[in-house]
Amino acid sequence: MSGQRVDVKVVMLGKEFVGKTSLVERYVHHRFLLGPYQNTIGAAFVAKAINVEGRVVTLGIWDTAGSERYEAMSRIYYRGAKAAIVCYDITDSSSFQRVKFWVKELQSCEQHCRIYLCGTKLDLLENDRSKRQLDFHDVRDYAEEIKGRHYETSSKTGQNVDELFQKVAEDYVHFTPFQVMTEENGVDLSQKKETYFSCCHH
Amino acid sequence: MSLKSERRGIHVDQSDLLCKKGCGYYGNPTWQGFCSKCWREEYQKGRQKQIQEDRELAERLQREEEEAYASSQGAQGTQPSLTFSKFEEKKTNEKTRKVTTVKKFFSASSRTVPKKENQETKAPSPSINRQVSIETEQVSKEFIEFLKPCQKAGHDVYKQCKICLEAMQQKREASIEEQSEYVQDFYHNTAEKLQLRWKMPSEKVEDVMDHIEKFIMTRSYKHVFCPETTDDEKKDLTVQRRIRALHWVTSQMLCVPVNEDIPEVSDMVVKAITDIIEMDSKRVPRDKLACITRCSKHIFNAIKITKNEPASADDFLPTLIYIVLKANPPRLQSNIQYITRFCNPSRLMTGEDGYYFTNLCCAMAFIEKLDAQSLNLSQEEFDRYMSGQSSPKKQDAENWPPDACLGVKQMYKNLDLLSQLNERQERIVHEARKLEKDLIDWTDGVTKEVQDIVEKYPLDIKPKPQPLAAIDSENVENDKLPPPLQPQVYAG
Repeated sequence: MSGQRVDVKVVMLGKEFVGKTSLVERYVHHRFLLGPYQNTIGAAFVAKAINVEGRVVTLGIWDTAGSERYEAMSRIYYRGAKAAIVCYDITDSSSFQRVKFWVKELQSCEQHCRIYLCGTKLDLLENDRSKRQLDFHDVRDYAEEIKGRHYETSSKTGQNVDELFQKVAEDYVHFTPFQVMTEENGVDLSQKKETYFSCCHH
Repeated sequence: MSLKSERRGIHVDQSDLLCKKGCGYYGNPTWQGFCSKCWREEYQKGRQKQIQEDRELAERLQREEEEAYASSQGAQGTQPSLTFSKFEEKKTNEKTRKVTTVKKFFSASSRTVPKKENQETKAPSPSINRQVSIETEQVSKEFIEFLKPCQKAGHDVYKQCKICLEAMQQKREASIEEQSEYVQDFYHNTAEKLQLRWKMPSEKVEDVMDHIEKFIMTRSYKHVFCPETTDDEKKDLTVQRRIRALHWVTSQMLCVPVNEDIPEVSDMVVKAITDIIEMDSKRVPRDKLACITRCSKHIFNAIKITKNEPASADDFLPTLIYIVLKANPPRLQSNIQYITRFCNPSRLMTGEDGYYFTNLCCAMAFIEKLDAQSLNLSQEEFDRYMSGQSSPKKQDAENWPPDACLGVKQMYKNLDLLSQLNERQERIVHEARKLEKDLIDWTDGVTKEVQDIVEKYPLDIKPKPQPLAAIDSENVENDKLPPPLQPQVYAG
């Protein structure tokens, strides 16, 4: 059961109520609803296949509990993650403090994990620009500093959501070309066998 | 980890293929760019640290527990619980022993007999020893059947598995980490071989790997599950005692979004509890994972029925913690360790099963570290509940569901009365002490007052001042004087 092959482990991090779950919901089911959902029983783990340059990559998206009482355990979650989407609320500057905490944690414990900063609730600014508490360029600079990427999204309108996840998948494909090949079309590997296989030297 | 986006397609530099440590061998993305040797070194370091940390935590908890018990032993009323826990512990020990014995009877195949078996203390008679367990037999048969259509590859896989099993047997005395590493390497190499040499499609490889895991782990289970070389059993008991001590935690404290008053929901909760307990009875890591996944699905259903929307991780984790607290699954630590050590890593790290397993690990870590703050309680409340002096459930006694058992209701009522009585008695004792103190104080006060007065007006008996020789004063000394002359009448 539930043996779906997953290529990339993506963890969602962020303070409570910044909208991690909504972001995943929007991406996977293209909806933003408060009413009853029909198809899913849970949005905590989702596997989603995505097309990148003709290859299929399956993202396994791990939602995490944002409450501070589980903070000590967050390390267990991002072990082995290839990408982390660290969310903050554009209209809440305190949520960005937590972002810095997670970035530090990720950099020290999980060096192979790429970091994507994601400002949520962009739609709230539509009518009232003064609600913004976190400057776009400040965060962008910070993202560059930590060699991460930066997106501002709205789960309500869907703005930038697909782009974010698409980028996660693309980065994965570009940075681990061989792994994708082994999984996608193993037959083709016969030509590469010599170079690839010679890593086994025990 | 630079993010150069211009590098597209599958162009790869030679340098990208080499091990990141620069040892000259080729690296591999599954080992995060290291070659297998360097990866093992790196990985081993991390894991050793993790194990060390786990052990320290467990030891600390153990110490704390013992201290708590030692201190509670002095207090009245907690004595029975102590003996009970001792008894439970014994029972668990016995159970484990029994399980191993039963397993010994069944699963020792003729293959494993000659070398190591005689070292085991309670080795059953050889005739029993030679019997092959029905389950093991079955698994072997299934495995062979399964491999038949694969022909050459199948034959090769079977041969490799046999070699692996024999090597495992040789390693039986080695540390569990070494054994785990060996099996992990075996999984990895076999999967790679299936893909590259036998050119199997990846789904098929997954399938074969599952069967290999089943075959190998069914046979090795009794030696590598909760092995004597580790303190897994000790930790199991610690966790078990810890969960028992936390029996009073309610779903409200954990903010669990599940309403057990809805019959459907409580049904789901019961199912989830059953599943998580069932995990201990499975032998194959994958089957254990499947139990966790089933349990999680029931939890999701329970949340969905209660909240009428799909659960997020914020809902799921507290509920899982609650379920674990309610279920107190046997040998939780051993099971988690066993899965971590011997499950096919590709499944554990990324997939759905891996997600739920991670949550379970997280739940256990939370339970181990749980304190007043994490339940939004004051430290006094937490201590009181922990020591069993009072129970938060008592307050619920009034709003029992109508179908609650009469006896239980009566019991809670009695408990309530008893605690009230206890309270009153305590008050009386308190008042009596106060009275005693007051009395003592009063006596002391009076004594002090008297002393003060005495000091202020000391009772000196001053020598009487020398009497002036007043003629008319009455004087004692006068007594010595001859009596005054009386007028006498002389006749003459």
